[in-house]
Amino acid sequence: MGEQRKKLSTTKNNPKSTIPSRVPSVASLMSQWISMGGEVIRKNLLKGGPIIALLFLIIYLAFASPYFFNLSNFLNITRQSSINAILAIGQTMVIIGAGIDLSVGAVLALSASMSAVAVSYWGLNLAVGILLGLGTGALTGFITGVIITKGRIPDFVATLAMMTTARGLALILTQGLPVPSHFTALKLVGYLPAGLIWLGSGNVLGVPVPAIVIVVITILGWMVMTRTTLGRAIYAVGGNREAARISGISYVRTKIITYTIMGLLAGVAGIVLTGRLNSANALMGEGAELQSIAAVVIGGTNLFGGEGGVVGSLIGAFIMGILGNGLNLLNVSAFWQRVILGLIIIGVVIFDQWRRRRFAV
Amino acid sequence: MSEKPLLRLEAIDKSFPGVHALDHVDFDLYKGETHILLGENGAGKSTLVKILSGSLPKDSGRIILRGKQVEITSPYHARSLGIGMVYQELSLIPSLSVAENIFLGRLPKSRFFFVDWPGIYKKAQQILKRLNLNIDPTVPVRHLSLAEQQLVEIAKVLSLNEQILLFDEPTSALSEEERQQLFNLVNELRERGISIIYISHHLSEVPLVGQRVTVLRDGKKIATLPVNEADEDTIIRMMVGRELKEQFPKEETSPGKPILKVQGLEIKGALNHVDFTLHEGEIVGIFGLLGAGCTTLVRALFGLEKIDSGKIYINGRRVTISSPEKAIGLGLGYLTRDRKDGLIHPMSVVSNITLASLKGISQLGLLKHRKERQVGEKYVNELRIHPPDLTRKLMYLSGGNQQKVALSKWLCSGSKILIFDEPTRGIDVGTKAEIFQLFNQLTKEGVGILMISSELPEILAMADRIFAMRRGTVTAEYRRGETTQEKLLKSVS
Ligand SMILES: Nc1ncnc2c1ncn2[C@@H]1O[C@H](COP(=O)(O)OP(=O)(O)OP(=O)(O)O)[C@@H](O)[C@H]1O
Ligand SMILES: [Mg+2]
Repeated sequence: MGEQRKKLSTTKNNPKSTIPSRVPSVASLMSQWISMGGEVIRKNLLKGGPIIALLFLIIYLAFASPYFFNLSNFLNITRQSSINAILAIGQTMVIIGAGIDLSVGAVLALSASMSAVAVSYWGLNLAVGILLGLGTGALTGFITGVIITKGRIPDFVATLAMMTTARGLALILTQGLPVPSHFTALKLVGYLPAGLIWLGSGNVLGVPVPAIVIVVITILGWMVMTRTTLGRAIYAVGGNREAARISGISYVRTKIITYTIMGLLAGVAGIVLTGRLNSANALMGEGAELQSIAAVVIGGTNLFGGEGGVVGSLIGAFIMGILGNGLNLLNVSAFWQRVILGLIIIGVVIFDQWRRRRFAV
Repeated sequence: MSEKPLLRLEAIDKSFPGVHALDHVDFDLYKGETHILLGENGAGKSTLVKILSGSLPKDSGRIILRGKQVEITSPYHARSLGIGMVYQELSLIPSLSVAENIFLGRLPKSRFFFVDWPGIYKKAQQILKRLNLNIDPTVPVRHLSLAEQQLVEIAKVLSLNEQILLFDEPTSALSEEERQQLFNLVNELRERGISIIYISHHLSEVPLVGQRVTVLRDGKKIATLPVNEADEDTIIRMMVGRELKEQFPKEETSPGKPILKVQGLEIKGALNHVDFTLHEGEIVGIFGLLGAGCTTLVRALFGLEKIDSGKIYINGRRVTISSPEKAIGLGLGYLTRDRKDGLIHPMSVVSNITLASLKGISQLGLLKHRKERQVGEKYVNELRIHPPDLTRKLMYLSGGNQQKVALSKWLCSGSKILIFDEPTRGIDVGTKAEIFQLFNQLTKEGVGILMISSELPEILAMADRIFAMRRGTVTAEYRRGETTQEKLLKSVS
């Protein structure tokens, strides 16, 4: 093995062969490190088109607004971006697998409603209520996956159907009222437990809980996509479904697991949002599906599947959050904000396409 | 040929990130000649012709066509300059009919802007006739075999009546008969004054179609010489830059017990009562022409075709194989004839290599990256995958190098029964020996290999037994050394 590795590293195109060989070990070792470092930088920084955009945005806003560049504003942005970030991580997995999930906003509302109803009306304890909400999300995702694979229905159609179904179920569950509502609150039942609120708006050592949730989920998502056979299967199925099948990778299993994870994450987002809003309702998270897809696209994941990563999507979610925050600080009207977001999505994707072609990454 | 060249390329240079694909290459083409372009996988052949066809921009250099310098900006532009190309990776649209594909982008219209369908079908039929091709021009291309698709692709370019034709490995998917037809056609075109650049890894084709030969190596032009000076040894030495080992290093093995047995396999309209047995440590070759059913047979074994009747035994146990997953579970591996069907283009080289052996490089679902890299490095080195960069995305490899990756995937899969449909398709002469060496290693470990090949020398040298097929029936069986090219061809046609 050692010999082969040596052979690998002495190919013609290697920049280190240009270093004169008269100065031995130290210089050659250093040059090797430099060329290796260069390679790492090339592979990763260039992959990070979105991170460049994020840095530009931060630098620009830091100069443009005196209120932008400070810790409390950043914590604020983090809280505001957290829901989109959580959903975007799941959406990334779905999209890399050549799918798309339009139901995430509705599933978020359904899960949140389930948890809120369980703890405030059914009197279940907090942990059970949360588990019930997460379980609802995961189950919905599982069902979506089964419908897509077993029913052979395109992802777009199946999740579109699930979007209205889940929204409807949430409305039925909450009877169209916020949970807890003032009506029930008068009867002195139905306040949300403090623990649930803490999940959305609490802090640990000054760090907002949602920030911790994002970090944990991003790390887990990154591990799944880069370090597990499941992640490999998702990339393979998204890159070429037939080829994956012929290589022994189960399309059905991969798809179902991916959508289940997505559903679970929609549940997490639902609970965090409930905590932040201090209540749940059946109409929360409207438009969240498109927001999460936008974050994924800005993050450099290919909408046709097979390429991309969760870290990019996290950055994408933050770009959107910072943009919204910054434009507010600059007193740009909400109407114009939408126009600007649209232009930014197009700009980032054009840049990304160019970068891929130019550097063959 | 003493007048000025029709087309001259001067100092064409092209780099991709990490690869200098063409290094100041000069090349010329005269009216009415077939100029053959040779070189190892990744030498830059496709890149050169793609620059001519307008599908890749050059970095620097000059293209002089009919005495005038031109900048070819797109395939459309190339076409208007009289240049047509048959791509190595076919460019047909699967869901469109044969006729639509042939006339793509220039469907003849009748009055009132409506497409003149009867006229198109008739024209398409005429063009297909020239290739002796009997396909219904109304069927969607996805229903055609790879060889048929290749011929349609050629028909499409022929229908353009261009003055310069670029053929990038046009015969790699064809069997003997269609190859002969293609040679006749190429020679006929040339006599009509058309100029052709022809890329192939089949050195035996050189004297049959070419007038001059140019050899590329690592993006540099090594030499251009007339065909009568270009005997195989000379060419090979120029291509690989070293002496070549034995081309077919077959090692005798003593086959063990039967691992795969097929009895009376029947698929309506495709296979007719096929019987055969594959033993441990044995290489069985299957040989047949277009439409003989070889590919259908192996697809059926891998659960990709519905079987009407017949029995399959693996290690003496009767099995039904309903899906590829099941087949893999039973220890089978299958390299598809069209490598596109087995590769994940946006994924890295190493991930493609290990795709069918994820169990072997993981524990509890967690990948062991070090182990994976070791497996990847082994094949990158042994099969000379170029550039030797494990993390490069597969889509940025040359055709032959992609084929090596597709093959590696099964070589390392640990499968006990390997089915290879044209394993060396598009692979250069220098690497073939390496591949067969790996076959030997596997058969020594008791793996049985079922190999479809239309390369006569290869199948004659490497297969312990050869089955000849014609129209879905096995017409003859030979042991190694029992038959000759002529005899084998006779039993299939
Ligand atoms: N789009 C691309 N991006 C990056 N690298 C590329 C691209 N196309 C080709 N290359 C590289 O350029 C080199 C030459 O490739 P090319 O396809 O011309 O080889 P070839 O001579 O046609 O080989 P083969 O016999 O395998 O078809 C290879 O090393 C390949 O990896
Ligand atoms: Mg090529």
